[in-house]
Amino acid sequence: MWYPKLLPKSGSQPASPVDRSADVRWFETVVEVIEDLVPRVEVAEPGLAYVPVGGAVRYYGGEQVLAEKIAGAIPPGALLGLADGPFAARQAAERAEEHDPLIVEDTASFLRDLEIDALGPSELAETFRWLGVTTLGSLAQLPREAVASRFGVEGLSAHRLAAGEDRVPQPRPIPPEYAVESVHHEDPLEMAEQVAFLTRSLAARLLGRLARDGISPFRVMVEVEAADGTVRQRTWRSTDPFTEHALAERVWWQVRAWIDTPGGIPGGVVRLRLDPSDLSGEGRQLALLEPVERDGETTWQEVAIDRHDAERALSRAQALVGPDAVLQAVPRGGRMPHEQVEWYPWGDQPPDVASDAPWPGKIPPPSPALATSKPPPIEVEWDGGMPVRIRLGTRWETVLSWSGPWRMVGRWWEGEGPADRYQIVTSVGAVLCVVKDGRTYLAGVYD
Amino acid sequence: MKLLQPGRITEMSGLTGMGMTRLGLGLLAEPSQRAPVVVLDVKGWLSPVAAWEMGVDSSRLVIVRCSDPQLWPQVAAALIDGVQAVYAEVPAGVRDQHLRRLAALARARRTGVALRPLGDALPSGVAHLRLRAREVRWEGAERGHGQLRRRYLVVEASGRGVAGMTRTIEMVDDGTDVMRVVSEAVAEERQPARVAG
Repeated sequence: MWYPKLLPKSGSQPASPVDRSADVRWFETVVEVIEDLVPRVEVAEPGLAYVPVGGAVRYYGGEQVLAEKIAGAIPPGALLGLADGPFAARQAAERAEEHDPLIVEDTASFLRDLEIDALGPSELAETFRWLGVTTLGSLAQLPREAVASRFGVEGLSAHRLAAGEDRVPQPRPIPPEYAVESVHHEDPLEMAEQVAFLTRSLAARLLGRLARDGISPFRVMVEVEAADGTVRQRTWRSTDPFTEHALAERVWWQVRAWIDTPGGIPGGVVRLRLDPSDLSGEGRQLALLEPVERDGETTWQEVAIDRHDAERALSRAQALVGPDAVLQAVPRGGRMPHEQVEWYPWGDQPPDVASDAPWPGKIPPPSPALATSKPPPIEVEWDGGMPVRIRLGTRWETVLSWSGPWRMVGRWWEGEGPADRYQIVTSVGAVLCVVKDGRTYLAGVYD
Repeated sequence: MKLLQPGRITEMSGLTGMGMTRLGLGLLAEPSQRAPVVVLDVKGWLSPVAAWEMGVDSSRLVIVRCSDPQLWPQVAAALIDGVQAVYAEVPAGVRDQHLRRLAALARARRTGVALRPLGDALPSGVAHLRLRAREVRWEGAERGHGQLRRRYLVVEASGRGVAGMTRTIEMVDDGTDVMRVVSEAVAEERQPARVAG
């Protein structure tokens, strides 16, 4: 069940990384309505929910009757699709009309004609298209081994989806110690900030506990108990196993939605529990072939590649050093090396910045590998405007050659004065200096 | 000779400014075509622009900043445990036993790790391959005119990665994503052991 107003199509850009608590709050009311008809609704995103309908179809006497019942009960704007598996159901919902649910009888033939973009906005889909594989049907016809060895786990997963083989949860017993719980009977949590902090630490605890056994969850049930004894539950699911960031975000959205709905969580939170299910160790499968160079010859060897390991490793690093110290960057325009970088925290959506505009006066490549936005002063001896010696650490080095001055006019309307840039070469390397108001600063090192 | 190998530590030493950071970033270019790669930045100066120029995929490059030598071993261990290729500056003051454990972890997880010590050299037995910048020469800049265009870097390679023989490699870097090896030579022939008899 899909609300396009809350969530874009799976083939388009993902929703912007804003706080979606308000969307979850509204969507929670919709999910409650559906749960009156069919139990065990699973929320994937604010605006997208999956409803396992096996038992309900028998109870209500048919898929069409059930779909019409759900459509009649929920607020307008929703699109409903029924198919085998979440991937096909979502694709069906995206192709349904309002008031006219799309019920897919033959999931394999339905998927066959879909454009390859149905896999989502990824480089993989673009590569398939470039290779002439434009539909899911043409992808499904390729030999699976060839796709797996060329495109890895991502390719394998795409091939399975295209062939109509959506993931089937492994029916395995889940040890009760996997669930994490935080109890506050004596001192209920009444401040939203306290609960927000708790959601993040519980998510980290849960995934850390599972990671030790090399598994991660596709589904997590969030359960909150209020001081008056009211218990609320909601299950969230994910196409890929949850990362710490994604899980913490969803748990917080959910709890926030309950806090903000009429009635809220009376008396504050006394217990918050996260119960994982649909656990998977597929991240650790030995499924990829990698070229290995040995004695000058390239051989193909099966190696363990875990697409989720890297995310777990970075999540742990983030927990140690903080989110502001685990960063990614995209190129942007600028004259100095530090200006050519737009940083963003790992886990966030990359910012949309233009980097192809011309920048006259830009420092040409090769760029210094070490650069800073806050250049420290450096001692340089000048003779008639020409650098003669430069102090690097504790020693003075003779300048062998240099280029500059390259004048850079600052934001004069903000009182920023002009500066001159120099590339200075010594016998132990080169540095990028800025001379401003008669002082020299070290802006970069060509290390 | 592959400078970054799965499960091995490559030590990159030399005076700051000679070009070892850029060479280390270049080692991440090929692994970044498949999976995320990480740079552990101690001084907070590392510029991704140089990494991009060396061919590192910007969407798969993550820079983790950690200047605390007490915390650094934990952060490095977390990264080596899950990421396929890591370039890490090593702050002064990290204990030898921690570095040995990281080497064992890299072996177990088959992670390729390049370590750039900012203080003392790595303890013996940690690095599979040691790369030491010996000489650097720039072309392009003159007496005020021109601009830096090309760097010639002479690197000495030693350790088990070169079967115990010290090799001298000259590389040229012109700001593109290829750092070309222009010459390679065995610097020191092994002398027969002297025997008194």
